[in-house]
Amino acid sequence: MEAALLASGSARLQSAVPGVCRAEDCCLGIDEAGRGPVLGPMVYGICFCPISKREQLAQLKVADSKTLTEDEREKLFTKLNDANDFVGWALRILSPNEISTGMQQRSKYNLNTMSHDTAIGLIQYALDSGVQLKEVYVDTVGPAEKYQAKLKELFPELEITVKAKADSLFPIVSAASICAKVARDRSVKSWTFIENLGDVNVDYGSGYPNDPKTKEWLSSNVDPVFGYPQFVRFSWSTAQVILDSKAVPVHWEDDGKDGDKKDTPSVLSFFEKKTVDPKLQSHRYFTERKLVSIANL
Amino acid sequence: GAGAGAGGQRERQREEAQWVLLAEESITDALENTNCGPVFTRLRNPKTDEASLYLFNSNASQIYEVKAFDENYHSWFIGQSVQSDGRLLFVTPLDPLFLVLPYFLKATEQQAKYWLVDQIMKDEDFPGCSTLLKCPRTLQSVHHIADEKEIGDQKFYKYSQEKTLLWLKKKVKQTVKALKSNNLNVGGGVQSSTFIRSKQAAEVTEEDYLRYAHGLLSDYLPGALSVELLKILGLPDVSTKAAAIEPPLKKRKLTDKPVEAEEDYTKFNSDSKDKKSSKMTAAQKSLAKVDKSGMKNISAFFAPKNKGPS
Repeated sequence: MEAALLASGSARLQSAVPGVCRAEDCCLGIDEAGRGPVLGPMVYGICFCPISKREQLAQLKVADSKTLTEDEREKLFTKLNDANDFVGWALRILSPNEISTGMQQRSKYNLNTMSHDTAIGLIQYALDSGVQLKEVYVDTVGPAEKYQAKLKELFPELEITVKAKADSLFPIVSAASICAKVARDRSVKSWTFIENLGDVNVDYGSGYPNDPKTKEWLSSNVDPVFGYPQFVRFSWSTAQVILDSKAVPVHWEDDGKDGDKKDTPSVLSFFEKKTVDPKLQSHRYFTERKLVSIANL
Repeated sequence: GAGAGAGGQRERQREEAQWVLLAEESITDALENTNCGPVFTRLRNPKTDEASLYLFNSNASQIYEVKAFDENYHSWFIGQSVQSDGRLLFVTPLDPLFLVLPYFLKATEQQAKYWLVDQIMKDEDFPGCSTLLKCPRTLQSVHHIADEKEIGDQKFYKYSQEKTLLWLKKKVKQTVKALKSNNLNVGGGVQSSTFIRSKQAAEVTEEDYLRYAHGLLSDYLPGALSVELLKILGLPDVSTKAAAIEPPLKKRKLTDKPVEAEEDYTKFNSDSKDKKSSKMTAAQKSLAKVDKSGMKNISAFFAPKNKGPS
């Protein structure tokens, strides 16, 4: 598996679809890795296999990725990848830049919706590849019932189970979580900065906000104008707080739209008599074009 | 400058002021043949009477006005630097007569006689105004706004409103032509400039064009002259018309009586005897005189009907 990806977009990686998955009823598990960190991408993984081979999958001893060391995960991923006669997988890597821009765009695209949409996209990918999907198991993001209802509405023909801790309950979800976690680890480790940073210090720790190394890296790598390289999720409050104190303030047109009513004129002001001196009021040709006379450069 | 990098803590260099300017190339023409390059000059704005920025090209053969596109939330990336002033400056040619005109007006107000042009173009606050006389166009065209008299080898000038208005009328015509050829929306309604109509809105009249052109020119004229121009163009003054349509402000009469609510319903529930002594309005009085025989009290209609069994 090659975990190199475009820093700004998202990438999908997938195994070949085993023939048996096209012929037999299959189950599919979904899990994610890298939801919390302030650095690096978020990775979504799916794993699928025929329902009849569920026992065989369990024998690979896949377990919740969080209980495993990095080494064990790598080994398990190799095993999964080698079992390509009945196990298939696919990954969607959401770059930190995509997360930042999504969450900070004018109409906010929050992380939960992004997660849901990515999961939906991967289920659709499996269906489009001819996998005979019957059952889908998902580790929940947000309230499980709502998420399940949403998926059910989109895929009425599938049996969908959304559950917290699904990665430790269903081997197919565990397998998906291993794929996601391995992909996340590799892409962070081999991150190639598209920015011309020279000899950047790459000792940024785990990338989680509570890691002192990560925090230290964040506060010593602020550019006053640009902030951070695209490796950092700008939308994380950890990054925001450091930017607020160390970088130049930047004002956007939709600043303070939420809650801050300072700039909203009172309705009464529209009925007030305009007291602008007609001498200083320029013609609408100029005001419509934001053209003003100036006295100084 | 700051590149797209985060290479450790960088010393913030003091941002040097830069501005982005659009001008015709000829501004720097004849730079070799003269020791006087293009100069920014503060001159009296004919409309506001206050300082505005203008530019003389090399040799001061032409005057330009400086306007800035200024909108919130804009900055420039210039080469490897950032400029927080996101304005875009436009340097556009200006007829020097617009800047000279107020001085001629003022001179006549002082004394309606013929003046030497050097006597007219004097301004302690804006000494640069005499440079306007260097533009060949100024003296060539000053006859549009003033009567001339030649005595010996000296020329004297007297402001003429009649001539000026004729000249301005021509300007209005030229502006209307330009407005039309640029397809400018001069209609009254608010309309997005990016919205393209499939056909020209029919309701735009010649008067709309005239009024718009007049407004545009008025940005270069003293207020009094703008009003005169409106008259000569045969356009009714909208501002006074609008003022007449507006309802007059209600004025409260001042009385010595204590302020009380106009509709106090509690009064009618009271048993006070002075109820009858309360004055009736003229309408009530006339109503009281009406012959009420055969009329029923309105409450009678709501009273239970005591119909006997039929």
